[in-house]
Amino acid sequence: MASAKGKALTIDGLTVDFGGFKAVDGFSMIVGDGELRVLLGANGAGKTTLMDLISGKTRSTDGSVHLYDLNITNQEEYRIARAGVGRKFQIPSIFRELTVEQNLIVAGTREPSVFRNLTFGINREGRRRLEDVVELTRLGDVLDRPAGELSHGETQWLELGMLVSQGARVILLDEPTAGMTQVETQKTAELINRMKGDHTILVVEHDMAFVREIASTITVMHLGKLLAEGSMAEIESNQAVRDAYLGSGGIH
Amino acid sequence: MHAFVADRRRLEFLAYALFIAGVLAMPLFIDAFWLNRIAKYLVYGMLGLAIALSWGYAGILNLGQGLFFGFGAYMAAMSLKLQSYTSLQQGSDKPIPDFMLWNAEPNAPTDLCCINEGSFLWLPFQAQWFGMAMAILAPTLIAYLVGSAIFRLRISGVYVAIITLALVLLTRLLIIDAQPVTNGFNGLTDLGWLTIGGFEFDPYMTQTYYLVAAGMVVVLLATRLLVATRAGLILQSTRDDPNRARYLGYNVAAYQVFFFTVSAAIAGFAGMLYVIAAEFASPTFMDLTFSISMVVWAAVGGRASLLGACIGAILINTIEASVSESEMLQEGWKLIIGFLFVLVVLFMPRGLAGLVNDMLDRIEAMLKPGAARPPATTKTAAATAAEKPGE
Repeated sequence: MASAKGKALTIDGLTVDFGGFKAVDGFSMIVGDGELRVLLGANGAGKTTLMDLISGKTRSTDGSVHLYDLNITNQEEYRIARAGVGRKFQIPSIFRELTVEQNLIVAGTREPSVFRNLTFGINREGRRRLEDVVELTRLGDVLDRPAGELSHGETQWLELGMLVSQGARVILLDEPTAGMTQVETQKTAELINRMKGDHTILVVEHDMAFVREIASTITVMHLGKLLAEGSMAEIESNQAVRDAYLGSGGIH
Repeated sequence: MHAFVADRRRLEFLAYALFIAGVLAMPLFIDAFWLNRIAKYLVYGMLGLAIALSWGYAGILNLGQGLFFGFGAYMAAMSLKLQSYTSLQQGSDKPIPDFMLWNAEPNAPTDLCCINEGSFLWLPFQAQWFGMAMAILAPTLIAYLVGSAIFRLRISGVYVAIITLALVLLTRLLIIDAQPVTNGFNGLTDLGWLTIGGFEFDPYMTQTYYLVAAGMVVVLLATRLLVATRAGLILQSTRDDPNRARYLGYNVAAYQVFFFTVSAAIAGFAGMLYVIAAEFASPTFMDLTFSISMVVWAAVGGRASLLGACIGAILINTIEASVSESEMLQEGWKLIIGFLFVLVVLFMPRGLAGLVNDMLDRIEAMLKPGAARPPATTKTAAATAAEKPGE
């Protein structure tokens, strides 16, 4: 296991100020190499904004983000992606008119330049990686289908497969089980557990059954700040978490 | 038969082969007058193809493609104008375009360098190769600059259409306004013939037809190969979901700029070939209607298919030329085309090429009812390209 060795993602005092409103406010967090971290928090706690800041969609006003030793603070999205941060949005985002295989080829092409991509097909190394991803996501039967025709679950798995193809070292997942059936959620949990170790994963999720299935460490955000960090049991018994966000009902 | 129908790639190959064979065999069937006409329509075919590349594959609706066509045409025409006998009849051994002499100040020196303030711009065009090279390079450079500005700012959809439309109209005004250098409204006429190694390409000769046809065939095949590369695939991915492509590590703007520029270079080359076949360049090339017409050709032929868009352009223009001989249809034709465009956009978003594809799907399903697949699964890469009408 690669876990607990290096720091894959180091966030230090990260702040974004939207004209006086600080959606993320002096937030710090370290995610270890190969770790699977779950990010919890009520609506408006700043979870998605935090992902926007890490992936370059939104520019921070203070603080820094490091991917391993590389400072990726406020870089262009495609540069952060190339450095090794993969991101899955809440709404499935795949290339609808390309086939599943073409989606994976586009994701797995490690060469970003236009001119170096003026050749056909993929090399043996790329083909091997593609087969690995197909095996991981179990999309072998639908490879020739346009991605727009996939079911909701298949679409999400394709997107996860694309992040793996991309070679992302740190993967940001925003509610990967939203809108999924019980069976689909189960398969997604399995898939994420298989990705754990090879990839460092940061997940925003509300489905507590799912969180129990996958989480080792949980970070709780509240009003843009770090509220608590620890194991499931620690978080469940943490008084500040109960007061601030879970209400009297506790974690379900 | 079954295996043959099932193999879409081979069918597509066959379609290209038949089309190219048809184009090359054309001189066997028609006279010089129609051959010259068809040569012009082949040029329009290249324009349809260029639109399909940017609209269908990149999702960029360029309503100002006439800008690049026009620039290509003027660059080539400037060189050919200086080769024309009309430029050498003015009592000078150095060529000067006739319209410059007609409009010259009484005491102006009869020299291309300084007969008027802008005439020096014509100096390098005394070399024919310079005009021909600039016909491709100038549109390429302009498209690169315009594209860089538009796409790095992440402007997309209808805004690109508005900007390109405004640009072509602006350029048209500038060209008409720069009358001393461009001959304004009248454009450049009485051009000489393209001369390569002592051979003069008379526009009504079969050789000239083959020059244009070869240019079109090369562009068609090269573009078809281009979209089949990984870069072509990545381009289509930026059309489907630019954000996803960005988060996979692609500089989306770089891909858009590249293919926008290639599309412009094709239009510039088309402009050059048009001038060789038609012997004039005119500001009407930058009229709004012309740029819109190109989009209509591509839509009717099928913007998701390079060959479809190319055939669409040739077909519409051939029909137009045939019907406009009758006086009644001369004006009515525009109405028919407009109506056709609306019908296609509403009911056949993939144009004629899509129609052919759907028919093949039906045939396939009938031939092997047991193994019938959902229609869309059998489309080729070219046929699966953009269907979003608003983009």
